[in-house]
Amino acid sequence: MSQKKERSQKAEKVIERMGQKLNRQIVGSLTACVHCGMCTESCHYVLANPGDPTYAPAYKADKIRKLFKRHYDWTGRVIPWWVKADSVWTEEDLEELKDTVFGKCTNCRRCTLNCPMGVDYATFNRMARGLLVSVGVQPEGVAVVSKDQWELGNQMGVLKEDYLDTLEWMEEELQDELEDPSVAIPVDKSDCTVMYAINPREVKYDPRSIADAAKIFHAAGESWTMPSEGWDQTNFGLFSGDDALGGSVARRLYEKVIELNASRLVISECGHGYRSTRCEGPNWAAFDIPFEMESSVLTMLRYIREGRIKVDKSRNTQLVTFHDSCNNARSCGLFEEPRELLNLVCENFQEMYPNRAENYCCTGGGGAMSMSEYTPNRLKSGVVKADQLKETGAEVVVTSCHNCVDGLSDVIRHYELGIEVTQLVNLVANALVIEEKIVVPVEEVVPVEEVVPVEEVVPVEEVVPVEEVVPVEEVPVEVAVEEVPVEVAGGEVPEVVSADAMSLAGRVIVVADDEPDQVEFLATVLEDHGATIYRAATGDEALELARREKPDLLTLDLHMPGRDVGEVFEMLREDPELEELKVCVITGRPELRKLIYDRSVRPPEGYLDKPVDEERLLLNVRKILELAD
Amino acid sequence: MSEFLHFSEHTLQEVAIAWLVTVYIIRVIWFLRFKPGGDRQPATGAADTTPRRGIFYSWGNIFMPWAMESTRRNLLMWITFGIFHVGVTASIALSLIIPYGPGLLESAFVVTLFQILIGTAFLIGVTRIIRRAGGKYMRALSSPDDYFSLILLTVWFFFAFLSVPNQTTNGETHLLTYFLLTAFFLMYVPFSKISHYLYYPFTRYYLGKTLGHRGVYPVQRG
Ligand code: SF4
Ligand code: SF4
Repeated sequence: MSQKKERSQKAEKVIERMGQKLNRQIVGSLTACVHCGMCTESCHYVLANPGDPTYAPAYKADKIRKLFKRHYDWTGRVIPWWVKADSVWTEEDLEELKDTVFGKCTNCRRCTLNCPMGVDYATFNRMARGLLVSVGVQPEGVAVVSKDQWELGNQMGVLKEDYLDTLEWMEEELQDELEDPSVAIPVDKSDCTVMYAINPREVKYDPRSIADAAKIFHAAGESWTMPSEGWDQTNFGLFSGDDALGGSVARRLYEKVIELNASRLVISECGHGYRSTRCEGPNWAAFDIPFEMESSVLTMLRYIREGRIKVDKSRNTQLVTFHDSCNNARSCGLFEEPRELLNLVCENFQEMYPNRAENYCCTGGGGAMSMSEYTPNRLKSGVVKADQLKETGAEVVVTSCHNCVDGLSDVIRHYELGIEVTQLVNLVANALVIEEKIVVPVEEVVPVEEVVPVEEVVPVEEVVPVEEVVPVEEVPVEVAVEEVPVEVAGGEVPEVVSADAMSLAGRVIVVADDEPDQVEFLATVLEDHGATIYRAATGDEALELARREKPDLLTLDLHMPGRDVGEVFEMLREDPELEELKVCVITGRPELRKLIYDRSVRPPEGYLDKPVDEERLLLNVRKILELAD
Repeated sequence: MSEFLHFSEHTLQEVAIAWLVTVYIIRVIWFLRFKPGGDRQPATGAADTTPRRGIFYSWGNIFMPWAMESTRRNLLMWITFGIFHVGVTASIALSLIIPYGPGLLESAFVVTLFQILIGTAFLIGVTRIIRRAGGKYMRALSSPDDYFSLILLTVWFFFAFLSVPNQTTNGETHLLTYFLLTAFFLMYVPFSKISHYLYYPFTRYYLGKTLGHRGVYPVQRG
């Protein structure tokens, strides 16, 4: 006697909820596939795994389609085996489905555009993700990020004070850089033209892009603000398929724009953020938008077109190529504007092939960067992107998406391509021509020789308090006269010496990394700025040096021989004698972040992705140590 | 002509067509009962792409082999796909010409044209069966319905090819088989993958509308 199969409660719910999610677009896509196989080679997973049909878009789609056929279509209900209709019964069935919809597809929509029948697999793959998430079957990373976005309002768990602190820090950096104390990053200012929303990754790993955007707004004379809350333009609902989360996150942002009475929401460069906020959000939140929304790419382009900012492309001389984010291009039609902008701010632009709507995914789409269990597979699929990049011969790849920055960086590192990744905002800021402030030359006001005997070396403050002579606003801010005595010799005009040069004097830093070149680089830069450096090549050495030298800061690579770095980190944090120790993670393996951030101890004070350049290193180290003070 | 052949050419076909139409109407009603989904967002992308343009582009997509990488790179596949579908249309037309306008087939040109189209479609059908059964990817995708539908069509082409001259001098088995297969084909279609052409306009309509609104259609590439 055949035994009746029992279906688990979760499986039951998945099937039942599928019925509520079905709409005509999805039903059309679920019924129209003829298994012609034309879409097969459009998927980067297929190209990277030759001979394995389980990566074919239609094969993956059938894992979802079989449920529809079995429970909602005609033939499949009567003779399921005839049309490969099937159901899900157990937790294992759901887990298997999870591995397909989260681990084998980045929802890049490339197969959609290559299907003669118009089957939009990416859309119903997202639906399937949502169904699984609704019963708690999801990759751990998806659960963590969703929780952060539900509870803290942003997907990286950035605390409000850290966010505001970062804005303040960037404001100061900008004031220093532009030698203009009036430059500001306004927060919660009402009645501005622009409210600028960002990706939390910018706060956590790339604050420079906030400063760059602020610099551009400042140069354009824009009336703008950033919100103190509702500032995260990204939306994990897009990746997890959770429309409720999507709607809630989008609504927070929209309501903030209305509260501040801004007339335009500008979304920093982020593919999924742009798509979620600009396109899907109004649907998820059932919100009719009473203000304009645009990508910052369009904003920057408009400023140049309108003559509000001036750029000098000769400042960006490297050979650059452009990577179209799937969400920007294949889901929002953002094709030409980034290219137009790129050509205005760069001297050498080389197109990548294929491009625009036919570009391949960076491998980090669909939230893949948060699902570490699929990382090896993701990196394997990156061979397609790596080949594309290599072909261009470019030194720099530009993209308008933070997710793509991470995805591309990973691919570049894995395939050792040595290409730098950047965004348009960084290039525009670099090319920006800021009208020189009129600084009255010191000798015109107080001829040096009248004050300082030429041969004598005299600290500046003994010679002339500059502020007595030159109005404050005309003095470059970096001349921290009282703090940095400048020796004047040979009758030359005093050289402006930045306070940075001395800023690490007296600081003790342990540099822990198993790559000798990396250690040398970090140590040299920090030593050149006055720090005392100790070098460690393993976790144990780092631990020992930290306990012995009681440094102010430890820079920590996440992948070193010997003891697990996560364990080392936890031991350091739990050591009462090292309460003051600041830690900055510097890693080339972002997927290992879990090792540190998943621990229930205080998180590191800083994080940097390799490769690190001198400017970024100093900026971050100074910030961390400044916080320590 | 035997009475059975006459019945197959007329009554049976009429019943089969009536069945097909009825089931299709029910099917369309079933489809339209799902919510349409909407797009509240203001348009994105280039100003000249609109939902309307997107819809027309989407419908016409299949006739523009250059528009999709999949067809551009597999031009031969696209051509054979085209001929195969022309063969289906010719074979259906034949099932109406023989009973209702046999005079048309007195023209040698018309007979030859139909035989070329249907004969080529038959050969393509054979290659498709080989492709489906022989290719690792295609095998993994295929269901019994996929094989059956393809074999059914190919065999139907074969008998349609033999029936084009509408001759019974050497017996009427070929004509009888052709009409019986046509009737079966019409009745089976709504339950098989062959009904894809019913969904095609809808699926493409909605995709075109969304992608047109978002400035993705017409597709841009460099
Ligand atoms: S999704 Fe489209 S291209 Fe892919 S097998 Fe199905 S019908 Fe063919
Ligand atoms: S959406 Fe992208 S990743 Fe997913 S199957 Fe299609 S081509 Fe592959």
